Amino acid sequence: MDLHRRVQSQTSSTSTATPSKHAFETRVADVKSPKSDINALILDYLMMEGYPKAAEKFQKEANLKPRQEDPTINARQQIQHAIHVGDIQKAISDLNELDPGILDSDPHLHFSLLRLQLIELIRNARGYDPSAAINFAQEKLAPRAASNEQFLKELEKTMALLIFPADKLQPDLAALLHSDLRRNTAAQVNEVVLQRHTERREAAIRQLVRMRAWAEASCRSKKRNLPDRIELGLNGDDNGHDPMVTT
Amino acid sequence: MAHSQSPPALLWQIQNARNHAEQIEFLRQLKDGVVGDVRAKETWVNHGILQFLVHLLQQKTTAQSPSGLGSKEAYAPISQTTDLPDDDRVRLLALQLIASFAKGGPSFLTPLNAVGAVPVILTYICPHKNPARLVLTSLRALSDMTEAASLSSRTSIEATAALAKALFVPRYIESLCAILDAESASSIVQEQKCLVASLISRLCKEPRYQDMLADAGVLDALATLLASFVVARGEVLPFTLDTLEREGLAAVIPQPAPRGLSLALILEAISVLIADSRFRTGLLLCSPAIMAVLTSSEIGERNSQIYRTWELLKKSGLTHGRPVDRSALDYLLPAVPVTTPRFLLSQHHPSFPSTGRSLETPAKHGRATARFTTEDREWLVGGGDTEEPESPLIPWLIHLMRSGTNDHEKVMAASVLASLFKGGFTSPDREFSLSVLVVPVLCHLLKDYEKERGKSLDAIFVDSETATAWVILERTPAVLARLIADSVFLQQVTRDSGALKLACKLLKDSYEPTAIPSPPRPWTPNPEERQDTGDDKFSTCQLGPPGQVPLCAHKIRMRESSLKLITSLATFKEEFRKEIVEQDILPSVAESLSETPQKPTPPKEKLKTEEDGTVPMHPAGHSPYGHNPTSVLIAACHAVRTLARSVSNLRTVLDDNCVAMPIFKLLKHVDIDVKIAACSVICNLLTESSPMRDPLIKAGVIGVLCLYARSDNAGLRLNALWALKHLVHMTDRDTKKKCLEELGPGWLIQLICDDTEDEALHARIMGERRPLTDADEDEVMDTGDGYAEATDDVWQWQAIHRKGPGFDSTRMRVADGMLRALREREFDEVRKAREADLAIQEQGLDFIRNLIAIPQQPAQAEMIDYIFSELGQDRLFDILASKLRVKILRPFARRQSSSSGTPGGGAGSGASGRNVSIDSRVLYPQSKIIVAVIYFLTHIAAGVPRHRQLVIAQEELLKLLAGHFNNKDVDVRRSLCHLLKNLVWCDGTEDRRGRDLRVFELEKLGFLQKLEGLERNDAELDVRERAKEAASSIKGEAGEGPQVPHGRVDY
Repeated sequence: MDLHRRVQSQTSSTSTATPSKHAFETRVADVKSPKSDINALILDYLMMEGYPKAAEKFQKEANLKPRQEDPTINARQQIQHAIHVGDIQKAISDLNELDPGILDSDPHLHFSLLRLQLIELIRNARGYDPSAAINFAQEKLAPRAASNEQFLKELEKTMALLIFPADKLQPDLAALLHSDLRRNTAAQVNEVVLQRHTERREAAIRQLVRMRAWAEASCRSKKRNLPDRIELGLNGDDNGHDPMVTT
Repeated sequence: MAHSQSPPALLWQIQNARNHAEQIEFLRQLKDGVVGDVRAKETWVNHGILQFLVHLLQQKTTAQSPSGLGSKEAYAPISQTTDLPDDDRVRLLALQLIASFAKGGPSFLTPLNAVGAVPVILTYICPHKNPARLVLTSLRALSDMTEAASLSSRTSIEATAALAKALFVPRYIESLCAILDAESASSIVQEQKCLVASLISRLCKEPRYQDMLADAGVLDALATLLASFVVARGEVLPFTLDTLEREGLAAVIPQPAPRGLSLALILEAISVLIADSRFRTGLLLCSPAIMAVLTSSEIGERNSQIYRTWELLKKSGLTHGRPVDRSALDYLLPAVPVTTPRFLLSQHHPSFPSTGRSLETPAKHGRATARFTTEDREWLVGGGDTEEPESPLIPWLIHLMRSGTNDHEKVMAASVLASLFKGGFTSPDREFSLSVLVVPVLCHLLKDYEKERGKSLDAIFVDSETATAWVILERTPAVLARLIADSVFLQQVTRDSGALKLACKLLKDSYEPTAIPSPPRPWTPNPEERQDTGDDKFSTCQLGPPGQVPLCAHKIRMRESSLKLITSLATFKEEFRKEIVEQDILPSVAESLSETPQKPTPPKEKLKTEEDGTVPMHPAGHSPYGHNPTSVLIAACHAVRTLARSVSNLRTVLDDNCVAMPIFKLLKHVDIDVKIAACSVICNLLTESSPMRDPLIKAGVIGVLCLYARSDNAGLRLNALWALKHLVHMTDRDTKKKCLEELGPGWLIQLICDDTEDEALHARIMGERRPLTDADEDEVMDTGDGYAEATDDVWQWQAIHRKGPGFDSTRMRVADGMLRALREREFDEVRKAREADLAIQEQGLDFIRNLIAIPQQPAQAEMIDYIFSELGQDRLFDILASKLRVKILRPFARRQSSSSGTPGGGAGSGASGRNVSIDSRVLYPQSKIIVAVIYFLTHIAAGVPRHRQLVIAQEELLKLLAGHFNNKDVDVRRSLCHLLKNLVWCDGTEDRRGRDLRVFELEKLGFLQKLEGLERNDAELDVRERAKEAASSIKGEAGEGPQVPHGRVDY
């Protein structure tokens, strides 16, 4: 149960501003969340997501006590950056420099990275000789895919990129070339490194957000007295009423 | 990869690099190439990379001055990789590469060992001489090798033992201790600590290593870390600080545990270290940090609030007893309602099933049989610690189990708790609170994790969540088994929580075949290259056998664990044995008795498949049912042993599932512990009511047992003799004679005789002690007769010794005294050997008794004559008389009490109070011998008049017996009544005169008055009744009625 996982700096609730007649809103308005908690939460987010400079600045501005050093924060940022710009070779190398045990004990992550590398090779080989990509797939990915169905499917899908022209791709193939894949893989790497070193997977605020979504959903399902729409209160005009993101 | 090169070329470049920077660059390339790629790893090993890596690591020792690396580095703050000097970076990379190769699995262990990787890695674990990153990486490499060792299928125990042997030597233990003691909060140090803890818990299985680590202060260091978690949770009592200041203990209160340290791992390491030793458990409780952080309220100023709360609880009927028993931490626990626990708890003990007694197995006494057995008894009997307040660590652990969110922590806390409970360190009413606060939590964990199991799994890869879930599932049944082993009440609670059925289900599930038992070879695009394995075929370049997949190893551990729980549940209650058997687990148990198990099949189907000849035979190492290591074999033996305590089980399921022959096979196993365990089962299978007796005799069990009765292992000797004793009971004359001949009358005499023992004992101690203790104790042993004192004079409590004379508090001195007493008791080889010998003597006497226990008359008399002629009539009676003389024991008793008095003023009142119980314990088995002697005589007296006359003629013997009428053991008094009744038995009219003579003799010796004294004053109703019967037989009042059955007196 994620919700029971200890949240380091537990805050009472997210804040709200818009005054309203609704009983719920007045109750929310009564809750004073201490600013220090919010600040700690923000710092936690910056540290966990891998923004060392921003974290340092914020810490100075908010006059927070320096947190326990996190030796991985710089490395995590570097690795994520490398993935974002598509230099997977460097990302893998940096990851091995940080802790070779990570890829050694997580074949799924390793496969994701190698596949991303293959995609980059294919992307670069457009119109030229694809033999580099094919060799890479044969040497690095195929042995892994042979013993795992899921890997095999993903490899086949990726290899399909070589055959179809880039502008006429099926949506699921196009997704492979989209930058979201890089971003997701980078986040995945960040999570694994975090978990290995701090036993936590993500920033505390993500859990709070999920908890809020869960609480709202369960209240609504039990038909409790709630306003039709609860603002996030991030800015004055909360445009669009999207249901809470639960990822 | 962009600039990937062929292995030979890259290897050449690495070896011939012009400078460190270049070498680092090439090594990094190599690392990126092999990490996560088993195929690449294999290729590189074939090219001999390991030898080169070890060579790189060895360079340090030669290049460096003996004084060690520059001291500035030792104290330098934790550095990032880039801050390391280049030569250290080379070594770091080499260590990382070795770790990565070890991650490749068990097959890489062979080449790693061939190049001697372990000794080289070990030179890097000292935190004073090496940069933190190197220490961390070398620990990781060791950890990976341990992991690989646990997966190697057949040799996992040997491989793990080899690692333990290399790691647990004084130098490296010191390093481990230094790592655990480090005060840095940096995350690297925390990871080092976690790795050390996990290495200890995976490798430290042997008592000698556990003692070494405890003596070196590792246990104290771990206890300090545990205390740091108490601090971090904010559970230190504030009002005790003043007292602690005065005692000088305030300084040892640790900083709160930093992030990154795992409480579960620390608890697991502690639990593995203290294991079954009372002394080490005491060492944990008395560890200064624990004493400082968790004080009992008695020490502090008595808090009136606590008292008031207590009174309130008492008024509302929620609690009972004296408030002094409670530490403040108890108020964190739910109040346990008073349901007269005492009544519940004590009720079960006398009500053993009637078969329990005669089938009682030697394991209780066998020294090395089951880990806990000998100690168990002592701990319960001893129980002398109850007047001391219970340590608040106990309520804290219970609190942790109930409030924690980490299930791994919960199980490990329970494991430590089990040791504390079994060690008798808990207050008497704790058993009840364990039953409501702890056992249900464990049963719940078992249920939860059992449900989550069975997701489809990758063959080789197990993610960390699954791995943790497996660990919890593997440990919980074993922890539960230890916790409930001696308590019928806790067993009842466990069963009521549904754990009995679960344990059976887990055992059955562990025999589901594994689809891929060993990791498959990775696919390769060009299969012909596989043949091309480098030029040389040295073992340093060749992979070993592939081992097993983690799932398979998990299943095998589940077998062991669930068998242990089944064993514990079947210990006392017949109805549980029945219930267990009804779960159809016997086929699985029977397969667990085999090293190469097959599909567990119920007996009927098995017969069918055997007829068809369709039993699929799997090539070695590739069986989908894995390979059972000795730990499973032993666990299965113990399960059969307890299940065989039930006669109905013996006659039905155990026989149907043909357990006899596999056990007979195990009897001849190479491993001594397996032999002992198998022998203890054989005891129960050879009883009169067992249908397996004849097949076993046909298979030649007598020869094997007689051989083992001459073994120099006391446990095996005892169990073998015990089994023979059961074998000769109620069997035909030829078998009896055969047993005696095979055993050899001379050897039997030697076994039961007292004269030779003293010397043998001394000689054995001199021989046995050497491997057990440290070298420095040998000197003391040379001082001749003072061998009893040898160990405890040398021993220093590290906690006080290391930290200097700072602790000068009464509490610490009391603790020191207690530890000395515990240690003396545990390490007293003289007493242990003495007890083993007494147990063997008892069995020897019982063996002779069972030889002559024949209900038919001419046969019995003939057997008695045979025994007399074989053993020598006078010699036998002499030995019997010598057994009754109490003074034989005294030299030992005196030696012991004088020795425990000597440790100066250090031994407080607590220690001297315990001396009494040491003496009485030495006497305790003695009364068993007396009973054995008396029953032997009783059986002779049940023979023909001639034999009764013979007993009466032993005046000396009878006089000695007369002295035992007020023996404090009930059994002695009861057996005396039996003997007298048999002695005055009148065998037809011809015997009338003889009877009168015997009565006269007995009255002359004053037996009648003593009997009447028993009849009037004995505390036991049973004895009073029997004394009455016997007295009236002497007086001849009861006439010729059939009072005494010939031969067997009910025993």
